[in-house]
Amino acid sequence: MKRILLSTVVVGALLAPLPALAHKVIASVFPSGKVIEGEVGFSDGKMGENVPVAVTAPDGTVLATVTTDDEGYFSYSPTQAVDLTFRADFGAGHVAETMMPKADVAKILGKAEALAAVQPQAAAPAGAPHPAAPVAMTDAERMVEREAIAAMLRDELRPLRKEIAAYKEKNDLQTILGGIGYIVGLFGLGFYMAAKRRLARG
Amino acid sequence: MHIVDGALSAPVLVAGAALTVGGITLGLRQMTLERIPAAGVLSASFFVASLIHVAVGPSSVHLILNGLAGLVLGWTAFPALFVALVLQAVFFGFGGITVLGVNTFNIAMPAVLLGLALRSLIANAAPTMAAVWGALGGGGAIALTTLFVAASLVFSGEAFVPAAKLVFFAHIPVMVIEAAVSAAAILLIKRVKPELFTGAPATAFA
Repeated sequence: MKRILLSTVVVGALLAPLPALAHKVIASVFPSGKVIEGEVGFSDGKMGENVPVAVTAPDGTVLATVTTDDEGYFSYSPTQAVDLTFRADFGAGHVAETMMPKADVAKILGKAEALAAVQPQAAAPAGAPHPAAPVAMTDAERMVEREAIAAMLRDELRPLRKEIAAYKEKNDLQTILGGIGYIVGLFGLGFYMAAKRRLARG
Repeated sequence: MHIVDGALSAPVLVAGAALTVGGITLGLRQMTLERIPAAGVLSASFFVASLIHVAVGPSSVHLILNGLAGLVLGWTAFPALFVALVLQAVFFGFGGITVLGVNTFNIAMPAVLLGLALRSLIANAAPTMAAVWGALGGGGAIALTTLFVAASLVFSGEAFVPAAKLVFFAHIPVMVIEAAVSAAAILLIKRVKPELFTGAPATAFA
């Protein structure tokens, strides 16, 4: 009897729905100034180090293969405005795919060009003596400054983005109970139909 | 253990789906009225088991609990595990819809094979000996599943030895734990409800 109790406890404890993280590969890409930055890792928080990420165009040609750094980040500078697909391969069946639509890629390309055009202008007046303090900034300066602020914001938001990604992968009790509910309902339905068939047969 | 969308080639996906349809058909034929509740409970256990993680060094693997389903259910394990896998894919994003066939086959077939091999042994053994067979079934199903997973990857172009090694060794702790869980469950069933095994394996839809 004691043994039965013990085994029940063991099985029960092991089957308790612990809210644990799934072991799933996740990948995300986002525009970061004039490059595309991306992040790959497992949903349990482990990042993908030195993982090759293949960048492919819609027609299947591989445009580039970039490798992630120690924190699972990679960056890619787009050269043409097409839908880009990023595929990270961890080996052993762990792959993740994500894509960036044409419109976003085009925006990044446009920005890169605009920045390239203004950079020389912005650098030139730096050496010249500054006139009275608050002068109106030139368009070029404004653009460079805006980029700097955007870069700063991205750095600040990165941990937040990570947290949101982790949160999305969380399985809460409701989800688990919902799944069990579906199973009970489905097998209940099967039971009902089987019972009906048997009763009909007499 | 769940292979994700996009990792396998099309022929492997199609073959997996076809084999799974066959397995489910066989399983449904054998699903008697008496076996439906057991199938439901094991399906739910399998669904939840994947959320229980075992830390292995820097990585972690989760329980699978397919062996027990095979031992108790035989071919009926196919529909039971399929339902749970569909829900895992939808709710947790484990695996994916296109790989459902392959995943179901990889997880259910080893369980069914061990179930067929060990069922009569368990039915005729004393509870303690039955528990030993149960442990063999639980651990063996995982070992066989890792080989199936490795084979699926190989047919999709990966080299067999590294793939198999990676999957197999990562799951050794799971094999040990599942062997223990299956043994405990079989021991319990043999003492409390031995007719679950002695009942003749149903042949047709009753």
